[in-house]
Amino acid sequence: SQALKSLQVNLNLFRRLCIVKGIFPREPKKKVKGNHHTYYHVKDISFLQHEPLLEKFREIKTYQKKVQKAKAKKNEELARLLLTRQPTYKLDRLIRERYPTFIDALRDLDDCLTMVHLFAVLPASDRENLEVKRVHNCRRLSHEWQAYISRTHALRKVFVSVKGIYYQAELEGQKITWLTPHAIQQVFTTDVDFGVLLTFLEFYETLLAFTNFKLYHSLNVKYPPILDSRLEALAADLYALSRYIDASSRGMTVEAKADASSSSQSNDRAESELRLAQLQHQLPSSEPGALMHLVADKEVEEDEETRACKSLFKDLKFFLSREVPRESLLFVLPAFGGTVSWEGEGAPFKEDDESITHHIIDKPSAGHMYLSREYVQPQWIYDCVNARIILPTEKYLVGRIPPPHLSPFVDNEAEGYVPDYAETIKRLQAAARNDVLPLPGVGKEDLEDPQNLLYAGVMSRAEEAEAAKTKKKMAELEKQYHEELKKEVTGSAVDDVAAAPVVEGGDGEESSVPDAAQIAQDTADMPTLMMSRKKRKLYDAMKIGQKKKSESVERIKQRKKNLKADQ
Amino acid sequence: MTKKSDGANEDQVKEPKRNIVPSKSQKEAKEMKSSKEEEDLLLDSGTDSDYDGDSLSGSLNSDDFDSDIFDSEDDDDSHRETQDDEGSDEVVDSENGEEEDGSDDEGSEQREVAEESDSSEDEVTPRNTVGDVPLEWYKDEKHIGYDITGKKITKKEKQDKLDSFLATMDDSKNWRKVYDEYNDEEVELTKEESKLIRRMLKGEAPHADFDPYAPYVDWFKWDDAIHPLSSAPEPKRRFIPSKWEAKKVVKLVRAIRKGLIKFDKPEEEPNVYLLWGDDSASDQKSKHLTYIPPPKLKLPGHEESYNPSLEYIPSEEEKASYELMYEEDRPKFIPKRFTSLRSIPAYENALKESFDRCLDLYLCPRVRKKRINIDPESLKPKLPSRKDLRPYPNSCYLEYKGHTGPVTSISTELSGQWIASGSTDGSVRIWEVETGRCLKVWQFDEAVKCVAWNPLPDFPILAVAMGVDLFFLNTELGTDEEQQRIEELLRLDNLPELDEAGKRLTAAIAKWLPDEKYRGIKIRHFKNLSYIDWHPRGDYLSAVMPGGETRGVVIHQLSAHSTKMLPIKMRGLPVCTLFHPNHRGIFIIATKKYVRVYNLHKNGEPIKKLETGLREISSMAIHPGGDNLVVGSKEGKMCWFDMDLSSKPYKILKNHPKDITNVGFHRSYPLFASCSEDSTAYVFHGKVYSDLNENPLIVPLEILRGHSSKGGVLDCKFHPRQPWLFTAGGDSVIKLYCH
Repeated sequence: SQALKSLQVNLNLFRRLCIVKGIFPREPKKKVKGNHHTYYHVKDISFLQHEPLLEKFREIKTYQKKVQKAKAKKNEELARLLLTRQPTYKLDRLIRERYPTFIDALRDLDDCLTMVHLFAVLPASDRENLEVKRVHNCRRLSHEWQAYISRTHALRKVFVSVKGIYYQAELEGQKITWLTPHAIQQVFTTDVDFGVLLTFLEFYETLLAFTNFKLYHSLNVKYPPILDSRLEALAADLYALSRYIDASSRGMTVEAKADASSSSQSNDRAESELRLAQLQHQLPSSEPGALMHLVADKEVEEDEETRACKSLFKDLKFFLSREVPRESLLFVLPAFGGTVSWEGEGAPFKEDDESITHHIIDKPSAGHMYLSREYVQPQWIYDCVNARIILPTEKYLVGRIPPPHLSPFVDNEAEGYVPDYAETIKRLQAAARNDVLPLPGVGKEDLEDPQNLLYAGVMSRAEEAEAAKTKKKMAELEKQYHEELKKEVTGSAVDDVAAAPVVEGGDGEESSVPDAAQIAQDTADMPTLMMSRKKRKLYDAMKIGQKKKSESVERIKQRKKNLKADQ
Repeated sequence: MTKKSDGANEDQVKEPKRNIVPSKSQKEAKEMKSSKEEEDLLLDSGTDSDYDGDSLSGSLNSDDFDSDIFDSEDDDDSHRETQDDEGSDEVVDSENGEEEDGSDDEGSEQREVAEESDSSEDEVTPRNTVGDVPLEWYKDEKHIGYDITGKKITKKEKQDKLDSFLATMDDSKNWRKVYDEYNDEEVELTKEESKLIRRMLKGEAPHADFDPYAPYVDWFKWDDAIHPLSSAPEPKRRFIPSKWEAKKVVKLVRAIRKGLIKFDKPEEEPNVYLLWGDDSASDQKSKHLTYIPPPKLKLPGHEESYNPSLEYIPSEEEKASYELMYEEDRPKFIPKRFTSLRSIPAYENALKESFDRCLDLYLCPRVRKKRINIDPESLKPKLPSRKDLRPYPNSCYLEYKGHTGPVTSISTELSGQWIASGSTDGSVRIWEVETGRCLKVWQFDEAVKCVAWNPLPDFPILAVAMGVDLFFLNTELGTDEEQQRIEELLRLDNLPELDEAGKRLTAAIAKWLPDEKYRGIKIRHFKNLSYIDWHPRGDYLSAVMPGGETRGVVIHQLSAHSTKMLPIKMRGLPVCTLFHPNHRGIFIIATKKYVRVYNLHKNGEPIKKLETGLREISSMAIHPGGDNLVVGSKEGKMCWFDMDLSSKPYKILKNHPKDITNVGFHRSYPLFASCSEDSTAYVFHGKVYSDLNENPLIVPLEILRGHSSKGGVLDCKFHPRQPWLFTAGGDSVIKLYCH
């Protein structure tokens, strides 16, 4: 409230400024006012004080008052006139300020993308002050972003979760992860303050627009992409029928554009006179661009991973059935080098194309089957993408329950539990690697049968484990033996010394025997006694964390055992 | 109201029409009304496909009226004729209706009625005389109103909806039929009428012949008028340019020049441009505070998959158990499984989570935290190997059984051949260490609190404290010569002569009495004893009485058979006392929180105060070197003091979860031990270097378990020569741990 007073703004405006300027509370060394206050840095507040945007907001406020006054006086014309000339503000300067380099912007792009993608599927609503225009803008921006990612093959991981689809792309060394909700009508929840969300969205929209501009610029494509008017018109017509088609075909057009303008001009020219006129405007900028791009392409593709991604679905032709999530697949497949078509208007090739290799279908059963192609469920694509190999399709065929979909973001070893399917994928990967890059040291026969090699590897591992086990056992035996020896010694000592009938020295054995584990525990705990308090606390906390983790892993294993027992 | 040609209707109305001949003015008024109705109709017609009776009649009436105007009033025959011709088929229909009604009128008559209706509208048709009342009033009645003669007009039977629908579907002329609610009948429109309606719907004049744009006939003749309408001369202002207009123009011109008014719209700036032109300029340092980038959201694990492995899905019981958990403990996300991609529903919390993230972004303080990602084991300090620190007691070697109550105290004889133990059952026993043989038993009435051997090897005297009494017992262990000397010492015939005051004072605190039964000395104190300690020279013995407050610690001199008060002002309740092993006059008293060191030679001058920081001290032991002190507390902590170094503990070890009952140093080996009520005893290596710069080395060596958990370990003492440890347990067993 001190900040509010010094800035002379109300709370709403303050929040808005904070959001837009990216100012967050700090944790002071000494909390003067107690624990339950939020503390802003004085510098931050003075930073806000000198913000031109504050002035602008004030201007807008007074202007709003003018309009209200005109309306109250029934001066409709004036009000209308005033409304046409409302002062507006821009956030570009702020973006520059918050993200001095492009890398910075990319680093913080996660939330931005997630939010924009979420709002792209929200229904516009009057009550929440969410306009259709904004939703469309969000959708456009997200499609532009996806088109870029897919064009540059920067997509790395995809994960279909209950919450939506997670994508991870790698741009300039930054890993950008975002979540797109499933393409189903979202519901508004009541316990959400839309004012805050919209303020965030406002900033994110601008940020993403500038980022897109920069990215498209790096490809030498004119940024606000001029879309194929035919497809767009088509989309507009179809809009009343279905939102999805609109969205996806739009996305497609952007992609087509990106492709077309950078590589194949001639193709475009052939298309239509009308478009030619449009293109003329674009040609001068993109003609050298095409050349540049070729050069750039070579540079970029130094990256091993990009190449791998690019060639994953090379030479494969996909056809999407009506019920699969088209938007997502249209994004993912080209990003990994595949060619796609879909059922519906504007598709590049029809369903009866002979060269289609995979037909993606999400129905319990397919109607008419072509023998020349494989009918797989969409999960196959995502799993292939994450594993970076073409997985065998038999588990993903139509009508079967596909194998579990695993998260590519988890480090299985660190987690302590490896699901079965992850292991099979790993094995397949190893096999594929052997297939593709023959190592000089590996003999011919090994190459011929990578599976064999694999088994050998597995076997050796198993053997190793076995050996370790036996070793342990041996050690244990030895220990036991030693113990017995010791016992004997002590026992004899007792026998020697304890002649008196009053004493039973034999109990010495009893007390020492059950303590084997106890002793080990004691010796392990011994050094903790000598730790300082701070270190001990840290140690305890770490132990607790480890225990929790191992417990959860244990639980999962237990469940698995139970499941197996049930079967 | 309907002028229309339903026979029955017209029959009824014929009479009144004949009677009443409306005047022209009336007619005009009606026309106004009807035109209004017409408008209503226009409004309605857009939405409804079938018109209700009222509006219909209105339209028709107006039509009639128009025809009246344009044809001469009297002879509307021709018009009538045409109308009849056109509506001939209707006539047939109406006749049918007639027959249904059972009335006996003829077609010609009916035609006449139609004629009549042309000239007068309102009176024409309504056979229902209820007037303009809401029809709901008759909703439940069988009749719909009354005719002119006062008879009830019964409602027609309602057709079944389906039937009526079918009928309408069959009838090609259905679109012309209109239901008149007021008269409860169906009316069919003629072609003419439908044309009229259509024209009105288009917004044209209803009658086809009406020309709205007829040339205006100016009836007023201006030509021969002598007088103009106004005789005033034309004003001057009609001939000169307006001043105000000029002013306004000037104003506008100025505004335009100043740029206040712009004609061309402001050019739209491109709202996106290359913001990050080249990143080379960006390495300038930001003037602002360091920006802490928001932490990224946690990446989803296997369990968030739409189709996770089966083992990730909690069973029903587990889900139910989540319900019982506290809100914050409950897992945020419960894995679910969908067998195909198409069956995934929308995630209901999407907006909520996004919002939460936003809140986190702008309302949570951000702090950079260092995260150490190390193996917790590496935090443990590296200890010297225990093997190098041998010997130390590590395994139970002997047990001494015989007591029936918890053994509260043990004491070792200096030679290491005997130990004495006292128990709550009132017995004091002496055992041979190596064999475990019980040499001697004394039985007292009270629980023994503390036993202590005289530290001189040639005076095997045992001091035993119980209740308010302190006994010196002759153990009869030494040689004959020694025995003689002890007996000499323990004979109480030569009590020292004291002055009166001193005698009274000491007598109030402790009384020396001969003990006949055991041939020793009994000293009766004024408060219960809790602790006794011999001076290393063996002549003095300090006794602690926590209840004695300022007189809580006294010192007995055995050779003189006298008791001395301490010349010290006691602060707090004394817990235990110690004589310094090397400096004779130095005396250490532990109260509940502090340990104080006094010099008795200098009349009790305080030397040092050690701040333990413990809540309640229970025991204390001094290193034979005399510079280091170990203090055990009831909160399970043990403090090692280097008395030369500081008054603060050098090391605090929190080793026991329960009270520490006793601590002890070994006389020659660098060992010390603590025992606690959690029935464990810890053995430590505690090496003190002669080099003052080097800190003492403390290494935990062994945890000795073995006593049953019910009573804990109440006392521990080291063997004076061997690295062995005796522990006295609450389970009435004494154990010997050897290396």
